[in-house]
Amino acid sequence: MKLNIDGLLVYFPYDYIYPEQYSYMLELKRTLDAKGHGVLEMPSGTGKTISLLSLIVAYQRTYPLEVTKLIYCSRTVPEIEKVIEELRKLMEFYTKETGEKNNFLALALSSRKNLCIHPEVSSLRFGKEVDGKCHSLTASYIRAQRHSNPNQPVCRFYEEFDAVGRQVPIPSGIYNLDDLKAFGRKKGWCPYYLARYSILHANIVVYSYHYLLDPKIADLVSKELAKKSVVVFDEAHNIDNVCIDSMSVNITRRTLDRCQTNVETLQNTIQRIKETDAAKLREEYRRLVEGLKEANVARETDIYLSNPVLPDEILQEAVPGSIRTAEHFVGFLKRFLEYLKARLRIHHVVQESSPQFLKDIYEKVCIDRKPLRFCAERLRSLLRTLEIADIADFSAVTLISNFATLVSTYSKGFTIIIEPFEDKTPTIVNPVLHFSCMDPSIAIKPVFERFQSVIITSGTLSPLDIYPRILDFRPVTMASFTMTLARTCLCPLIVGRGNDQVAMSSKFETREDFAVIRNYGNLLLEMSAIVPDGIVAFFTSYVYMENIVASWYEQGILENIQRNKLIFIETQDAAETSMALEKYQEACENGRGAILLSVARGKVSEGIDFVHHFGRAVIMFGVPYVYTQSRILKARLEYLRDQFQIRENDFLTFDAMRHAAQCVGRAIRGKTDYGLMIFADKRYARADKRGKLPRWIQEHITDGSLNLTIDETVQLSKHFLRQMAQPFRREDQLGLSLLTLEQLQSEEMLQKISQIAQQLLLGRRQLVPQPLVLLAKPPHLST
Amino acid sequence: MDEEPERAKRWEGGYERTWEVLKEDESGSLRATVEDILFQAKRKRVFESHGQVRLGMMRHLYVVIDSSRTMEDQDLKPNRLTSTLKLMEYFVEEYFDQNPISQIGIITTKNKRAEKLTDLAGNPKKHIAAMKKAVNSMCVGEPSLYNALNIAMQTLKHMPGHTSREILVIFSSLTTCDPANIYDLIKTLKALKIRVSVIGLSAEVRVCTVLTRETGGNYNVILDESHFKELLMYHVKPPPASSSSECSLIRMGFPQHIIASLSDQDAKPSFSMSHLESSDGGPGLTLGGYYCPQCRAKYTELPVECKVCGLTLVSAPHLARSFHHLFPLDAFQEHPLEEHKGDRFCQACQGELKDKSVFTCPACSSVFCTDCDLFIHDTLHCCPSCIHRQGTS
Repeated sequence: MKLNIDGLLVYFPYDYIYPEQYSYMLELKRTLDAKGHGVLEMPSGTGKTISLLSLIVAYQRTYPLEVTKLIYCSRTVPEIEKVIEELRKLMEFYTKETGEKNNFLALALSSRKNLCIHPEVSSLRFGKEVDGKCHSLTASYIRAQRHSNPNQPVCRFYEEFDAVGRQVPIPSGIYNLDDLKAFGRKKGWCPYYLARYSILHANIVVYSYHYLLDPKIADLVSKELAKKSVVVFDEAHNIDNVCIDSMSVNITRRTLDRCQTNVETLQNTIQRIKETDAAKLREEYRRLVEGLKEANVARETDIYLSNPVLPDEILQEAVPGSIRTAEHFVGFLKRFLEYLKARLRIHHVVQESSPQFLKDIYEKVCIDRKPLRFCAERLRSLLRTLEIADIADFSAVTLISNFATLVSTYSKGFTIIIEPFEDKTPTIVNPVLHFSCMDPSIAIKPVFERFQSVIITSGTLSPLDIYPRILDFRPVTMASFTMTLARTCLCPLIVGRGNDQVAMSSKFETREDFAVIRNYGNLLLEMSAIVPDGIVAFFTSYVYMENIVASWYEQGILENIQRNKLIFIETQDAAETSMALEKYQEACENGRGAILLSVARGKVSEGIDFVHHFGRAVIMFGVPYVYTQSRILKARLEYLRDQFQIRENDFLTFDAMRHAAQCVGRAIRGKTDYGLMIFADKRYARADKRGKLPRWIQEHITDGSLNLTIDETVQLSKHFLRQMAQPFRREDQLGLSLLTLEQLQSEEMLQKISQIAQQLLLGRRQLVPQPLVLLAKPPHLST
Repeated sequence: MDEEPERAKRWEGGYERTWEVLKEDESGSLRATVEDILFQAKRKRVFESHGQVRLGMMRHLYVVIDSSRTMEDQDLKPNRLTSTLKLMEYFVEEYFDQNPISQIGIITTKNKRAEKLTDLAGNPKKHIAAMKKAVNSMCVGEPSLYNALNIAMQTLKHMPGHTSREILVIFSSLTTCDPANIYDLIKTLKALKIRVSVIGLSAEVRVCTVLTRETGGNYNVILDESHFKELLMYHVKPPPASSSSECSLIRMGFPQHIIASLSDQDAKPSFSMSHLESSDGGPGLTLGGYYCPQCRAKYTELPVECKVCGLTLVSAPHLARSFHHLFPLDAFQEHPLEEHKGDRFCQACQGELKDKSVFTCPACSSVFCTDCDLFIHDTLHCCPSCIHRQGTS
């Protein structure tokens, strides 16, 4: 259908539209008009992706000079593929409606592992191996060597692409990963490099977060993207953690040992080259004297995404003399390595800031701040000069040099924690140096500064105002949309007590309590008897799950549960978990019924959907607070308090609730789906917890469903499941939660027309709530 | 007075929110909407059955009754098993009333096994007796959908092609314990054109959804006892026959009922053939009865298949009773009440029209309320106003 969104003609490839999709598009349009950033929360399964795509594509077509590119960031490869499929539908609709062939180019980009078509390289199992092997076949000096030595193996796909691929742009169309591969095979071009090259002139790019957020990759891939792009982060509820992870470094003894070997290899190679080709090293030296001018030129033109790892000052200066020659640099690395080793030889925990660390390193081994800052760049240059083919082998030394650059560049927002052993195993000495980023805004800042609109969206972003605060940006729109439903297909229940009236809680003081564990067991047992097919239960941590399951086994609860359903358990092993998942789904499919015990923040809670019968109920045992004793977390909380005035407790609750919402949200993946959401902890009933759940869940929690006993829960659930099992067809949704074009228009008209019509509409308008628009307080006004 | 059997005390039973059944939800969301949807479905069902469809007159139906542990649940009074069996008795009677030349059989499943309670037969008494006996049986273990369907299939697949082959499963459990992949069995059922419908007593189970969707049956889950009855009664009506089913002529006998009075000299008391096997005595020698037109065997009850020559014996009223299935009453036209001009009273019950829509008979354009519309289509099968007119003219 064709929609009129605030004066913009939007082609929408479906005959029906959800009311919330319409208002989502309105908000989105407003954000794009203002050229600002937006935070939008809309429940999963209400067609977020297609709303985003159809509006932005329409905007691009109408105002080709305002928005030139859409960069759609998603988390996983299947999600990327889904986005491309929706886009394909949209484009087909455009072709059908307008009758003309449009010259849109949209493509997905993923790692070499997913895109490689080289027969030998693509058969490797790990991403790192593929990258390394690819590099050894396509690096410039390898290809240069081929001129003198024709036996040197190279990748023929890359050669072909390099020879002709750049002149002829890829024909317009929609390309998912397989399409790219097929196209590459047909032409004999490397799909990975083709995609990387083509994103520069593509209209829509779909790729993973890391290509934009991780400074190491962003520098390679996303550097030259146009400023007039719209960036969308989908499923962005964890974006702060992604940012932090991309800037943090962990160093163990093993890293240092591997680094040691790397440095030795470097030294030997330098020695060898010095004997054979000393001119090369001299040439490098000359270049370094001139400084990193090349990079500097690029930055001045302001078309590059700035690299937070490489601060501006560095580019203007020459590389310091002390590390300019290769041998000196290797010596420098050795000293640095020895220093780190010495630091890891400790028996108690040390926490210090970057300046403290720098002072200490200066006192102990006389390493200045300045050469440290150049470390990463210097290493890159050296590796290039030494023509080392397999970069993958040098990951350890690269990590160390990145750490050196980061620690000397940022005096704020980072902390260094050295622990002699892991928390779980306090007797085994396993020292770790955490260089941990505490400020997610550092990594994402270049993105916000560079692109005119950044949209952060997910099914669970509540409370909305905290994201702008921790990511340090000012959004123009923040909105949360509810799900309009023809029938109440979600049933959130807060279970606070067992039948014996003992409060249920995963609170630290009571979690070992026998009665609490028994009540949790009884809850699962009772639910297993009344919920059909699949139940997913989430625990707060692996340790807690192990304890509880062991205790249930002793009490015989597990045996009783197994009479009703099979039990599967998520473990930390990915292969085991995917096996368990497969069997779980099989059991749900053939009527045996199954329970999956898993962990909040685990693999299952984040990426896996339990549609329809795969998840008729989700039980959340306890509040999934992050492990608060961790020193990294403590440091981060302190930082948040000092820098952003976010109270520790607020952040912890926010973090716990977003994970809880993620977990329970796994079961509802659309309007025809239905599921129970059981929060088994007394603390959920408190307003500070409940208020942080997404609005679309919150509004279904009535006062009657707070602090229930197990018995009451069972009764309510039974009733709910029977109601939901009644036949439900599309016609029942029409007009309420699903609109045709006429209904949409008539409603608009009716709202305008007369008083009587408005009165009649009152009932309906309650069912179609207006989005809640919270405007952020601009920081400059508050001061 | 009978001694009440020892049953769980009220306070030992499950927690119930009985008031919720009575109370209309204030926000108007849950109960109201679902009920609305149900009402729509009911209307739709009436509509669907109209128009010219071929209905299977001869039905072979196996009813599978789950007798697993979950049947002891007390959410139906006094428990699921007793309630189900009671409704089933009513169903069997109604079934033979509406489908006189059809047959029914009952299978129970418990403890991972399935067994036949009664074979396919056309005599309601036998089934009802068997079910009365089954009330006191224990409900143990898990049901096996596979085994139950398999037993039913073994018999049904030998039934002739012009008859319908149906299975109705009353499924209380949420799990099934199967010896093999049930999806293979579903394929076989589909190939054999056996229609499987399921009435769930607790919640929607995936495997039942697939089973019914594949075989073309219905899947419903009960809300309460009255809804259960409604769903069960829906299966009394014969399903539309698929166009691919064979047509064939069947030989039937219409025996005359010969009443011999004691005063008649020639009258000799004789045994009914159907009583030869039954051991429970019953009326032994009688004077009159139905005599098979082919072999003169005597029966006291119809319909029956002749034990001697295998002829199906029916009486004309039996066939007439299922006649309305073939020529159903046309659906009445629905109008919103505001648009309706003229009388504000229902032609049938003379009550005031209060519902939001009124129904008009297309033939005589009389107006009816919702309840009367349903009553006319469900029970009367003819428009009272039309009949009235025919009488006067």
